[in-house]
Amino acid sequence: MYRLYLPSILILLVVFQGAVLQFIPAFVEENGWILASHSVFLFLILFSLFYDQNDTYYGLFFAILFGLVIDMIYTNILGVYMFSYGLTTYFVHGLRKILHANFYVALLIAIFATGFVDFMLFTIYQFIGVAQLDMANYFYQRLIPTVILNSFIFILLYLLFKRRLVKWSNDRFEKKL
Amino acid sequence: MSFFRRKRLFTILLGLILLVGLIGFSITDRDELSSTEQFVQDAFGWMQQIVLMPINYTSQVVTNLNNISNLHHENQVLKENLSQYQRTLYEVQELRSENEELMSLLDKTESITDYTPIQAAVIARSPEQWFNQITINKGKQHGVERDMAVITAEGMIGKVQSSSQFTSTVLLLNGFDRSNRIAVNVQLPDDGGDARGFILGYNEDNDQLILEFTEYHDEISEGETVFSSGLGGVFPAGLEIGGIEEVTTDQYGLTQIAYVEPSADLEDLNHVIVVDREMATNRDIENEEEDN
Repeated sequence: MYRLYLPSILILLVVFQGAVLQFIPAFVEENGWILASHSVFLFLILFSLFYDQNDTYYGLFFAILFGLVIDMIYTNILGVYMFSYGLTTYFVHGLRKILHANFYVALLIAIFATGFVDFMLFTIYQFIGVAQLDMANYFYQRLIPTVILNSFIFILLYLLFKRRLVKWSNDRFEKKL
Repeated sequence: MSFFRRKRLFTILLGLILLVGLIGFSITDRDELSSTEQFVQDAFGWMQQIVLMPINYTSQVVTNLNNISNLHHENQVLKENLSQYQRTLYEVQELRSENEELMSLLDKTESITDYTPIQAAVIARSPEQWFNQITINKGKQHGVERDMAVITAEGMIGKVQSSSQFTSTVLLLNGFDRSNRIAVNVQLPDDGGDARGFILGYNEDNDQLILEFTEYHDEISEGETVFSSGLGGVFPAGLEIGGIEEVTTDQYGLTQIAYVEPSADLEDLNHVIVVDREMATNRDIENEEEDN
């Protein structure tokens, strides 16, 4: 039963991304900022940090799967989100072996990973010709506001799901031992 | 250990190749989405409709509450306008019946302005703002096809980029570029003729559409309304696109261009109309040729 919770939460987050733009207040746009919410990705970071074991890669699997879904329904170019989410989740999974995951470490990882994933998306989209911003404008208009917004979303998701993820993880992986 | 490292490198490289392949596959001008994409879009579109319905409803209520403060003033202005419309309405009815008589004399039944409206509701908006796209709840099963124009009561907002069986993706006007031009007309003040031109794209800096005229006209004034002319072979004629804000020349000073402010609000969209042109479009003709 627990196994069904995780994909359903991810599906819900993907669905909610479609309504995110409605909640962004008008002054954000007037200042020329571009906000992107990466709530699915932030949940995948939590997933890799607190659910996965050192030798399991469920987070990576879901990153590739849901990256592709986001590509299909919200953009018309396949593979960009899939690759960016997949690669970054893989790095985060690598970091969990080195660092002890408490709240501050998790937040720091989330901030850096969001910055990295957004920068990667921008680089690929700019290469294809979808994004027509130059690097300096990108940093001020998109990267910094996006990272700030997503750290708040991460804190929210952390408070909501951290304990549950640890519990589900214990339930699942200790049975095997 | 070295075996694992090599395997890791190999996997990342394989991922890169897959990425380039997928991008190449999706960036080509595809006529139809693959059935997997259609299925995923429909499945998520269905969930979005259920989950986002209360959210959309609430945000609509909030917008309505904001509008209430303006209601009294608006009502006054509208009442004044209404008295003028009575006269125009009478004229329009006269002209319409006259037009019908003349058309029947000529045995001409279909016109380039005719279209079948398909009502649709917006169910989601792409969170990635570089793609100016929205998802609507009507698809191929309701007759929505690629390249159809999408309008609201105020004017044109975009065109259908791709359609699945039960949902479709709409590219908004602010995502238009040279590959999806709109042929437009602007009425000239004196002789009643039309200035022809194309909407070439969208200027991100001042949030306006760029209109390039095919000929040079001195007398085009600011504030004129821009309509689609239907001559591009895709959209019907007479759809309102926007008002001219500024007339100038392009960077080489050779052609006349104008900046056009879209009439419809592209940010706050709830109900839209997909426009199915009755006269054969370029795509219909191509499809028929393929069938023969």
